[in-house]
Amino acid sequence: MTYFLTQLANGLSYGLILGLIAVGFVIVFTSTGVLNFAHGSVLLTGAYLVAILHDPIGFWPAVVVGILGAALLGVLINAVLVRNLAEPNPGTAAILMLGVDILLLTELTRRIGNRVLPIGAPWGADVIAIGGVTLPTSRAIAAGVAVVVFALLWYLFARTDTGVAMRAAAADGDTASLMGIRLSRTGATGWALAGALAAIAGVLLASFPAPGVAPTLAISAFAAIPAWVLGGFDSVVGAIVGGLIIGVVTALAVGYEAELHVLGRGLGEVVPYAVMIIVLLVRPSGLFGRKEAVRV
Amino acid sequence: MPDPLLLVEDLAVAYDGAVQALRGVALRVDPGSVVAVLGSNGAGKTTLLRAISRSLGDVGGSVTAGRISFAGQDLARRDASWAVRAGLVQVPEGRRIFRDLTVEENLRAGGYTVRDARARREATDRVLDLFPILAERSHQRGGLLSGGQQQMLAMGRALMASPKLLLLDEPSLGLAPQLVEQIGDIIEQIHAQGTSVLLIEQNAAMGLRVADRAYVLEVGAVTAEGASAELAGTDDIRNRYLGVSTTSPTRTTHEDAPVDVPVHLQRTSGARAERLRVEDVTVRFGGITALSGVSFTIEPGTIHALIGPNGAGKSTCINVLGGAYRATSGTVHYGDAEVTALPSHRIADLGVARTFQNISLSLEATVEDNLLVGRHRVMRTGASAQTLRLPHARKEERTERTAVRRIASLLGIEQLLGRAVHTLSYGDRKRVEMGRALAAEPTLLLLDEPVAGMTHGESQVMADVIRAAQQELGLSILLVEHDMPFVMGLAEQITVLDFGKRIAEGPPDHVQRDPEVLRAYLGSAAA
Repeated sequence: MTYFLTQLANGLSYGLILGLIAVGFVIVFTSTGVLNFAHGSVLLTGAYLVAILHDPIGFWPAVVVGILGAALLGVLINAVLVRNLAEPNPGTAAILMLGVDILLLTELTRRIGNRVLPIGAPWGADVIAIGGVTLPTSRAIAAGVAVVVFALLWYLFARTDTGVAMRAAAADGDTASLMGIRLSRTGATGWALAGALAAIAGVLLASFPAPGVAPTLAISAFAAIPAWVLGGFDSVVGAIVGGLIIGVVTALAVGYEAELHVLGRGLGEVVPYAVMIIVLLVRPSGLFGRKEAVRV
Repeated sequence: MPDPLLLVEDLAVAYDGAVQALRGVALRVDPGSVVAVLGSNGAGKTTLLRAISRSLGDVGGSVTAGRISFAGQDLARRDASWAVRAGLVQVPEGRRIFRDLTVEENLRAGGYTVRDARARREATDRVLDLFPILAERSHQRGGLLSGGQQQMLAMGRALMASPKLLLLDEPSLGLAPQLVEQIGDIIEQIHAQGTSVLLIEQNAAMGLRVADRAYVLEVGAVTAEGASAELAGTDDIRNRYLGVSTTSPTRTTHEDAPVDVPVHLQRTSGARAERLRVEDVTVRFGGITALSGVSFTIEPGTIHALIGPNGAGKSTCINVLGGAYRATSGTVHYGDAEVTALPSHRIADLGVARTFQNISLSLEATVEDNLLVGRHRVMRTGASAQTLRLPHARKEERTERTAVRRIASLLGIEQLLGRAVHTLSYGDRKRVEMGRALAAEPTLLLLDEPVAGMTHGESQVMADVIRAAQQELGLSILLVEHDMPFVMGLAEQITVLDFGKRIAEGPPDHVQRDPEVLRAYLGSAAA
């Protein structure tokens, strides 16, 4: 039982981190209609900045620089590339993003090489144990940070002018611009938010039990894609729930791999996509996605 | 003369650099006045508003000549956001409220440009004072409001920016006569509070009632202008836009109507209309009863109308007949077949075709392709034969294209066949949808607001088209419509719904005098 609870706790905290990444996918998609396949390398950029700066300027200032840097990178990708597409459509933009991802990843790989850069987090490799259930301190902190970030996001979208304007623009851009809402601005805000969330997720993912920042960190953003899709492309709540589902399922699949050996090894990497496919078979627009043509 | 608030001079607009939508349009709105723009479909009214509110770019249009100035400032290099901040706010056609946002959030989005908290509070108070219903519903999602309430929300949302000039695009579209009056009153109130209004309106009676001045736009150019009262007195305006009176079920006589022109629509099969029996149908969504115990019968080959206030359950009823919604209880029989037990594609196979209130066409495809989709039911060759372009498939395609052309000419959209649907005006899209339904060679045609967004003259032409189709194809027709002259002139039998219940039924002259109908629906408009 404690083994199960340990796996569950790990899964939930991992799921919350995936949720942070998946929410970034959602916000970029709803604010600019782009499937942001460069999200992983934005995440890696944020984590990389923290890894190289924590020594000279201290961990917390480095985190601030990492978050701002990733947000700025997102804004630049949007302003320089996405907004200048000659013929903006989701397909072209998605392929453009794959290109951006390869460029960024290549440059970061060149800089990092085959090193693994420590993230320098003050919580190190401590472990919390409550009644036999063990959880790395970093993962407990990750869960706490994610919950706080989600609460802030809720406040932003439900209670502030900027948030309401972003939702209006996402729902019907043409009409929103008739209210004086500038789509260029809501788009930039979306990219900045997504970048910041990615950087936070990057720092949390590179903490213990992970060894540190390595180029493979960018790949971990892809684990959030099934979470994003099964939550329904355009739902922030869906992305969080999707993250939790994928996180728990992955942790359990890895934790019980020995018992499930009939299914072969490496189950943890396959399970998220299997869950995604099953959900989409039952609910084609995801768990919380807007249904096409509700009213006839 | 005072300096004009809005001055449009010699304006020309083209779409995709080719389709000329407006030419040489001149118009002025003085401070503190209400100006109406009348005109038939595709005349360029919405284009004019979009040019003024700087939102042409969204639909691929651009100003090719002329000048628009607002409060003395040239708008040439200004964007929509600047216009809103300068006090020029548009309520778009079809309301376009944010359905997933609450009423309160919709209003908040409307007041986005107002940074000053006190100014915003005052604007909110004013809006809630004009539309008390919005205060009651402030925490509901916009999409749950009825059509009339959505129009109020759209207007309230625009007023949140405290505009100097409010641009209204078809505020009465799809609203019941009583609500149209109410919207008219509200426009007068907004005007009395010092906001100028530029109003585009298909309902010319309402437009001319509230406006001081009016312009008539025909095929992209202004053909008449003057004081509203003056214009309302001219014969041309009376015939084309006002109609003679709401109580004359006479056939139209004006020249451009295809009256008695045989169009030779032919059936490819010997299908015949059957009797449609709706018996005690109830539909509930969650806790809301949209229809309760409604019964009526449509005799084969007759035109039956369903009228009633917004939210009375008319569209729900059509959706049950077409198979989009399931009845909670009760049955619908078409001939011997029980419609309520069949999925919608099987209902289509029975010969039931429909059009949609909100129009449901493939926007990127051409008019011709949209109509060909309607032929699907009567086409015989399979996908593989068509792909391989076997001789019999090519022959069928030729026949089908001829059939589609014939339907298009009946509806007067022949010249639009090659155009993509998204470039068409609302009224023309309605025609295309009707064409698609006719293309399926139905025996029962369900029409949901076939003349919404059309002028009186155009709706008379549509009435002739419907009558011709009915006679030549032996169709039964069920129509839902708010345009009373249209309904009264066309329908043989009318069922009136209110709050999901049938409150009256009978021939037009009988229903028109029913006190219950006058109270719930027609209001003083029928008097």
